Amino acid sequence: MQYIIVGLGGQGILFASRVLGQIALKRGENVIGSEVHGMAQRGGSVISHFKVGPYKCPLISAGDADVLLAFDQNEAIRNLHFLKDGGHCVINVHRREAFQNESLKTYLAKRKIDAFLLNGYEILNEHMGGNYLFLNVLILGAMGGLNIGGISFEEIKEAVSTLSPAKFRDDNLKALELGKNAVHAS
Amino acid sequence: MANEKAVLLGNEAIARAVVEAGCEVACAYPGTPSSEILPAIAKFADSLGTKTVVEWGTNEKVAFEVAMAASFTGKRSCVAMKHVGLNVAADPFMSGAQFDIEGGLLLIVADDPGPHSSQTEQDSRLFGLFAKVPVFDPSSAREAMEMVKDAYDLSEKHKIPVMLRPTVRVDHCRQDIEFGTPIELDRPAKFSKDVKRWVCLPAHVKITHPKLNQKIDAVRDDFAHSFSKYNYEVPAQEKAKLGIIAGGISFAVVMDLLAKMGRRDISVLKIGTPHPLPVDIVSDFINRHENVLVLEETYPVIEMQILDRTKVKGRWNGFVPRAGELVPEVVEEIIHKALGEEFSIKADEDLKKAIEELKVTPKPPMLCPGCPHRASFFAIRKAFPDGIYPSDIGCYTLGVNQKTVDTSLCMGASVTQSSGFYLAHKIDGKLRPVIATIGDSTFFHMGLPGLVNAVYNKHAFVLAILDNRITAMTGGQPHPGTGEKPRKGDAGRAIPLERVVKGCGVEFVRTVRSYDIEENVKVLQEAWEYAKEHEEPAVVIFSHPCMLLRQEQPKIPVRVNHDKCIGCKFCINFFNCPGLVFDESAKKAFIDSRFCVKCGVCLNVCPHGAIEVISEEGR
Repeated sequence: MQYIIVGLGGQGILFASRVLGQIALKRGENVIGSEVHGMAQRGGSVISHFKVGPYKCPLISAGDADVLLAFDQNEAIRNLHFLKDGGHCVINVHRREAFQNESLKTYLAKRKIDAFLLNGYEILNEHMGGNYLFLNVLILGAMGGLNIGGISFEEIKEAVSTLSPAKFRDDNLKALELGKNAVHAS
Repeated sequence: MANEKAVLLGNEAIARAVVEAGCEVACAYPGTPSSEILPAIAKFADSLGTKTVVEWGTNEKVAFEVAMAASFTGKRSCVAMKHVGLNVAADPFMSGAQFDIEGGLLLIVADDPGPHSSQTEQDSRLFGLFAKVPVFDPSSAREAMEMVKDAYDLSEKHKIPVMLRPTVRVDHCRQDIEFGTPIELDRPAKFSKDVKRWVCLPAHVKITHPKLNQKIDAVRDDFAHSFSKYNYEVPAQEKAKLGIIAGGISFAVVMDLLAKMGRRDISVLKIGTPHPLPVDIVSDFINRHENVLVLEETYPVIEMQILDRTKVKGRWNGFVPRAGELVPEVVEEIIHKALGEEFSIKADEDLKKAIEELKVTPKPPMLCPGCPHRASFFAIRKAFPDGIYPSDIGCYTLGVNQKTVDTSLCMGASVTQSSGFYLAHKIDGKLRPVIATIGDSTFFHMGLPGLVNAVYNKHAFVLAILDNRITAMTGGQPHPGTGEKPRKGDAGRAIPLERVVKGCGVEFVRTVRSYDIEENVKVLQEAWEYAKEHEEPAVVIFSHPCMLLRQEQPKIPVRVNHDKCIGCKFCINFFNCPGLVFDESAKKAFIDSRFCVKCGVCLNVCPHGAIEVISEEGR
């Protein structure tokens, strides 16, 4: 199983890849992935690769990813090529109309890519006082709700709970539920 | 009982191995992609309760020398840095190679092919060759851990410093690893005086240099015969259609690609010890293959050590691009080219069209919303629209987005280049304001000698020290100005910047609040007048904590009044905040609530007064 997580520096992408790592550790699986630290993290485009299985290379090749988690819709579109045919993605959208673009719709349809769109900012404005720090966990919650990438919601919940600093644990778990609910509401 | 397992960052795995190997003195200066190593050494030393001393050095040279002296006493020591850090530490590195050290000395140099976060993509393995120091080149976090331990043994066996050279994809990979048990070395510090051994007089070098050559020959022999776990062939075939020699992470890239392509007609020789190259193993492999490809990052270091390169394709002869990272897409194409097979990766036309139509572009890095540097740069530009702005290495290099960074060369060069700019204009009798920017950590690292030089030689310029109480770009490490140290319960002493600057002989020193744009414009102008009049540098210390420290500060919600906004983009071009965006269709600036942190600094920015506080009633 191969996962790509994309977004902008500061959106908590590294925490999301640590959650995937924690789940694999619990299962006793071999994992290898790649992260971005340093200057590129300063608000710029950031990408994490994460592979579960007998891999040696931390990078995922185009067309190989099973799941794409995108904290930003532009970053999602820029990195869609990583997804294999029939792959899944969860995308945080702030301008939904972009997904009405005909070329984009054609691409997603012919590749049989299943894209779940949610406006994380709206959800966090409504339920978490507009604290966007929880966007990463919200997206993970949606991934769990969709039951994609071979990972259950319960596994994600356990990993988030384990990795959360005490003062953020309750809020993280709340954001996780919000993500799951967004799937069920759609 | 099975060992405890963990999924760690490559740098954390390396750190764990350093502690397990019994390292007692660990030093570093932060720099991507090496920065996480030292904090992780402190973390594991804390959790395992070892005596290891863990310290950030003022710069890499300092860190290297501290670690090296500990090794003179028999202690295992370690020094970590990024590749360009080794340029700073080149002096002790070059001469240190010739010493018969006592305790193992491990030098970890993290290279940044790409580069992702550096000013060069130099290859530290070549530096190893230059200094005649053995180099391990790991292909994964797991392998790096094993190499750390072997490096210490090798270092003590041959009494020579040893380099571990992980590249960014190893440093920042995340992999499942197994913890080991730390070895306990009972080695009281013992420095045995021996002038011939510890003093590098020319007369002694006549003896130590030939001896170093013998050591390197012996290490080469070890690499050829005792390290088959790092240097091996997969699958071992007498003669394949293509033979690939792969070093470091390139091995991992090749192996996953071959598995994906389902190719069995290609043999791979993995090289984990690129210097000194186990030439016999490599020559044997080359002799058995008609077609040989060398894949390594970033310079042709393995390739250059192959004496007969007639059959060899690689970076040396340009078959492999001579710059840049060897990511899977690049390697896949090279392998097909080497096999003489047609191959091309084509971007999907629909996706390409969608990206064009939606104007989706990669987002370059920017200073964080609320970053004090943004306000400082804005004031600098406002005070001296025609100034020359030498800058330095750190987050604030991103001031280039505000057109207030004219040069960035290397650590500390903002100060020394200001001297050069001053002199060049002075000769012509036409002074131009020169306003240099340097971060607090960078100032301690290498800004100090330049400032002393400028006072001594009487150079007039304004030095703005952007003091955000942290080494920010690399993730938030302490430095001499903060006084904090990595290990629990270990406290250092904070050195106030203002006192240091005054101690260098600077007479004009002012500390200001970074957000105070209007006031700071005046202070900067005053500083330049003083500098010109007295022919000496004037220093303004801009003080405000980094946003990464998340300190509480007043929240001032703002909006752009669209009746006043004329769409001139001044705020975008010279303030450049992620929280301020421009809508091309409406031709107006907007506050992007996704990123705005309500610092309120932009209130002073719009020349038309369009950025306003949202009043309580208006909310």
